[in-house]
Formats: sequence, C-alpha cells, structure tokens
Amino acid sequence: MLDISKLLEEIKQTPFDKVEIVSPWCGRVSFADIKEEDPVAGPSGNWLEVPGTLLANVEREHNPKPVRAPEKGRIEIIHNELEGQFIEAGTPLLTLKHFLTKQEVIQIILKQALHLFNAPERAKYYFVPEVDVKIRAAGHRSVRIANGMDLFIMSRMKREAILPYSGPEGLIYSVYFSHNENVGAGEPLIGVCPEELMPIVEDVVARVQAEWEEQE
Amino acid sequence: MEKHKVLIANRGEIAMRITRACQKLGLDFVCVYTAEDSHSRHVHLARELGGGLYRVSSYHDANELMAVADASFATAVHPGYGFFAEDFRFARRVTQRERGLIFIGPSWRVIRELGDKINTKRLARSLGVPTVPGSDKPIYDEMEAEHVAQSLYDFQLSSGISQPTIMVKASAGGGGMGIEEVQDIGMFRSVYRRIRNYALRNFKDEGVLIEQRIRDFNHLEVQIVSDRSGKNPVHFGTRNCSIQSTGHQKRVEVAPGFAPAEINYSFDAAGVLAEITEHSLALARKVRYDNVGTWEWIVTRDGRPFLMEVNTRIQVENGVSGIIAGIREQEGVDIIAEQIRVGLGEPLGYTQADVSLSGVGIEYRIIAEDPAAGFAPWVGRIEKFAWKQESWLEMYTQVPVNEPYDIPTEFDPNLALGIVWGKDMEEAKMRGVAFLDSLVLEGADSSGNPLKSNISFLRAKTADILKF
Repeated sequence: MLDISKLLEEIKQTPFDKVEIVSPWCGRVSFADIKEEDPVAGPSGNWLEVPGTLLANVEREHNPKPVRAPEKGRIEIIHNELEGQFIEAGTPLLTLKHFLTKQEVIQIILKQALHLFNAPERAKYYFVPEVDVKIRAAGHRSVRIANGMDLFIMSRMKREAILPYSGPEGLIYSVYFSHNENVGAGEPLIGVCPEELMPIVEDVVARVQAEWEEQE
Repeated sequence: MEKHKVLIANRGEIAMRITRACQKLGLDFVCVYTAEDSHSRHVHLARELGGGLYRVSSYHDANELMAVADASFATAVHPGYGFFAEDFRFARRVTQRERGLIFIGPSWRVIRELGDKINTKRLARSLGVPTVPGSDKPIYDEMEAEHVAQSLYDFQLSSGISQPTIMVKASAGGGGMGIEEVQDIGMFRSVYRRIRNYALRNFKDEGVLIEQRIRDFNHLEVQIVSDRSGKNPVHFGTRNCSIQSTGHQKRVEVAPGFAPAEINYSFDAAGVLAEITEHSLALARKVRYDNVGTWEWIVTRDGRPFLMEVNTRIQVENGVSGIIAGIREQEGVDIIAEQIRVGLGEPLGYTQADVSLSGVGIEYRIIAEDPAAGFAPWVGRIEKFAWKQESWLEMYTQVPVNEPYDIPTEFDPNLALGIVWGKDMEEAKMRGVAFLDSLVLEGADSSGNPLKSNISFLRAKTADILKF
C-alpha cells in the first residue's frame, strides 16, 4: 500500500533539485545581467510559450543563441570566469536551485503507484502513429492500452523496431520521455493507471494539492 | 601543396581515416566529438596526433561546426560520409560564407544535381543510361503514391512477373535506410505511411520514391575520382556489394565487381563491368563531376545493368577499391587522401592509363548485431576486441582495443572494417576467413547477456563471394 504521508515527508527533507545548466553548443559565451542568488523563472504559459529567464548567450557564427532557465529557482553558482570565452558543448555555465512544484511532487509519488513500463534498451522512443494521433487530439490520459498492443517505435543505431506494451490494461497516466531524447535501458517510458488504482491516484493528487507548499 | 587546416566534421573510423590522410599530406586538422563519442578512438587519435579537438552538441549542427571552424582557423571542411556529406546547402554555405572554407567533396551544384535521385535518373536517361523503372519525382501525396504503385504493380504483372514487388524509399534517404518492399498491394498504404513518417523524422522531408523491386540482382558500384576541372574523371574499378543484411545494409564488399576469370557467369561479366564503368564516366563528364563519388548499379541475372543513384561522397567501402588499385608504380591508393588533395584544388595528375587494378579485395563490416533476429543491433559494452595483424590486412575501427567501450546508440552500428587483399579470389577468401577466425570480440549487455555479432554470418557468406 502506498504510504503517501511518508513519501511526502521524505520529499520535504530536500524539497529542491540542483540543476546544472550546461552550454548546449560550442560558441563564445556572454552571461546575461544576472548574479548569484537571483531568482529565475522557467518557461510558462499554457503552451510554455513564454521562455524562461535569459541566463547567457552562446554566439555561433555571429548568431547569439540564448541559454534560458529551464525551471524556476535561484541561481547558486555562475561560472563568470568563462565570460567571453569560446566554450565547448557541455561546459557547465551555472547551477540553479529549483524548488519542486506540486506537479513534480505528484509525479514523484505516482512513480511509486503507477505501473511503469520501462525502456528495454537505450534508444529514442516514439508512440506508434495510431497512438500518437490520439494523444495529440485528446492527451495521453485519454489513451487506454492493453497487454500486447503495439505502442512504441524504438529507434537506435538508425534502426527502428516496434515495441509492444506489456502490463495491465489502463490509461497512460504519465509520459516520462521527450521527443528525440534518448532513454536509458530500464528507465520508465510511461506510467499506466489501471482502473483499480484510480482512487489512489486521486488521493495522491488531492493530498499534494492540499499539503505541498511551493517555495519560490 | 598549399598549407591548409581541415575541420573533420565526422566521427568514428572515417574521422580516423581522414585524420591520418591529413597527416600523410602534411595538413593540419581539427576534430569534433559529441558526449556519446568521448571514448571513441577518433578522439584519442586527435589528442595523440596533436590536432585540435572540440566537443560539440551534434555532428549535424552546421552553426556549431562553422563556429568551431572559425575558432580553430580551419580553412577546409571534410564531411566524411553521412551527416552533411551530401547536403548541397551545407556545401554551399561552407564555401559562400563571409569567411569561406573549402568543402572537400563535390561542388555544391554537383551535389544538388546528383544528390537528387530523381534528377540523376533524368540525367542518366538523357545519356541513354538505363535506370530502375519507377516514379520520376518525390511523392508527397498518398493518392498519387497509390496510383504510381498500382501502375508499377500492373506493369510487372503484364511483364510476366509472377510476384510483383514495389520498393518504397525515403527520397532524401541513403545508405539503405528508409526502404521497404511491398508484395501485397493491399499493404501499400500502411508501408507508404510508415516510410513517410520515418523520412519526416530522420530527414525532415516526407518525400517518397516508388520503384519496381528488381529481384535476383547484384549490387555493383563504380568508384570515380575527378579534380576540380571536372574534365578528366578516372575510375578505380568496380565493387560488388551484394552481400547485405535483410534490411538492405551492406555487410561485405568486394573489388572488383565480378571475377569472370575465376567464376562462370551466364552473361558477359567483363562486358557489364566495362559498360557500367563507361556509363558512370560519361555521366561524370556530363555534370563535370569534381571530387570522389560512387555510381551505384544493379545488374540482373541476365546481365542487364540499371543505374540506381550516385553517392556524391566518399563511401564506407572506398578502402576495398583502394587496396586493389595503383597509380603508376605505386601500389594501393588512399582514396581519402586523393579526395582531400583534389578537393583542395590540386590537379589529378594522372589519367586512366596510369591506373592499374590487381588482385581481389574483400571488406568485412564487423557489427554487433544478431543476424538470427533480423540483424537487430546489439547494444552493450565491448570488453575485448583484438585481431591478428597481417601485411594483407587493413583494419579501421573506432573501438578502443585497450579499454572497455560502450557502443553508442545514436549512430550507425558499424564497429570496424576489415579489408583483406589476395592475389586472386581464392587467396582473398582464404585470408578473409583467417582474419575472421582471428577476431576476438567479447562483451555483455546491461542484463549480462553475451555480445552478438555478425562474424559467423560474414564467414559463411565468404564462400559465396561474387557468385551470382
């Protein structure tokens, strides 16, 4: 049985993530007008159309490419010594302290409750076109899946293979992978909510909504 | 030769071969790598030889590559194969930007002209070069695709073909990727949609080609080299790439393309080799081809050749042509070094009469995959990789031999290329088997299951080399 109170208490011990912001690209870096301890905002809006706080620009072929805060939080460390230098992709630029949101806490707890369907291999995963169409039209929580159903396209080493779902019948409650991003072997792809789990899921959502206080 | 610094915009074994070719020519170089490739030998080699080395986010980010070129003061870019090698927009951008660089490959106009499979077919037909029957433009409309497929199906039925088959290909694809065949015309629509989606995901272009599937054929290639004048192309012979996986991926390449002196064919094999070579050179002259390239052919059992496409780049299997070729007294040709040399503007410096071909070369692509499961790629860690060094063997690999190596899942699954040479077919095959027997390739996946490879497949197929 899921002990929601205990899980919530555990999360409250460290209610934040340290997010290391690395340069996605090579280029010459210039930091935005920011300093340590400054609050930053992540993307927002209904479609996340409002970008996060500008942290730095990486200039490539005279084109500045913005590096923005992926989450809200506070700046802990800025590597100001890199200012004006040509840096390689993957170079750490800043560290953010990100306080967990209610939605993130719900997802952390639900990972303990939902049936997780894991990636069998490190690969990129896509929903098969038939499922993808349904998700685009009505969201993933509208899609009911059953054991043996063709669900994913697994793409690695330029080869693609169909990956059927195995597990209990239910709704796709959570999706843990992103488009065009690799997923490691054993990492969850989706969380499936069978009918009988629905009361627990609703309980988790209600408890977190009531008890979790988001910090700035 | 003028001093240049070459940005090697690629990875793995081809990056290593380009690095060594630059070293041989006395050129400076700079390499790039991604996080997934940090343990690749091409990274070790760049460090060892003192070239520049930059970590990039992707081999497919043109801005980033150009930023590295500028930061490192590179004067030329070698794209290798794959990635930007056949992208005329990239080639044009490299040469026409404010700080222009030399693109070591054909000029962008040539890539544009021949990189489009449809245009290549049109050009070929204008010279009387036979091409595979099929659509003469990329198809974006499902109704039109069905109409073309049905007419090709009906055409085959009326030609007496008992099992008509249609090939559905991603127009922007290459290297055997994004190809499926359809035998049941009722299944066409689902295959078409699958290829269209694949093409969109991988090439950002959902155009699809529909061709007649010619069965029972050999896949041949002609290796062409020409300098910037575009007037004097020469060939380095033919290759036979018919031994492939079930997904049309090459596994063994042999040069020359047929062995009429040692194997009986039901057609004039020497005549066919001469014919495809002449046709390839004619098309190269017509477009003023100005670097290395490969003309890809299929030859039917009754000896009819059809041009499939032209690959406007260096190919994986260039080394098997190089190992049987010579220029004047020099045995063996480093085709990558030739590509760089002429790419930087040097004249070719020899004619066809100076080129000789001797013996037989076999290239084996060593891959971690499971031939018994449809050649599914195997993903895991290589613990041990070794082979016996021989004077008749060239081995190209990005896999470190002195430390474990996690196979990256982001790229082509090739681990190594082993190229053997023999004075005739029999000796080449014998050496090929000896090489494969000497290979040690061990590892395990994340569940502890042992590594799977195609070595036994390669060994079994060696007996059938060049047989039709």
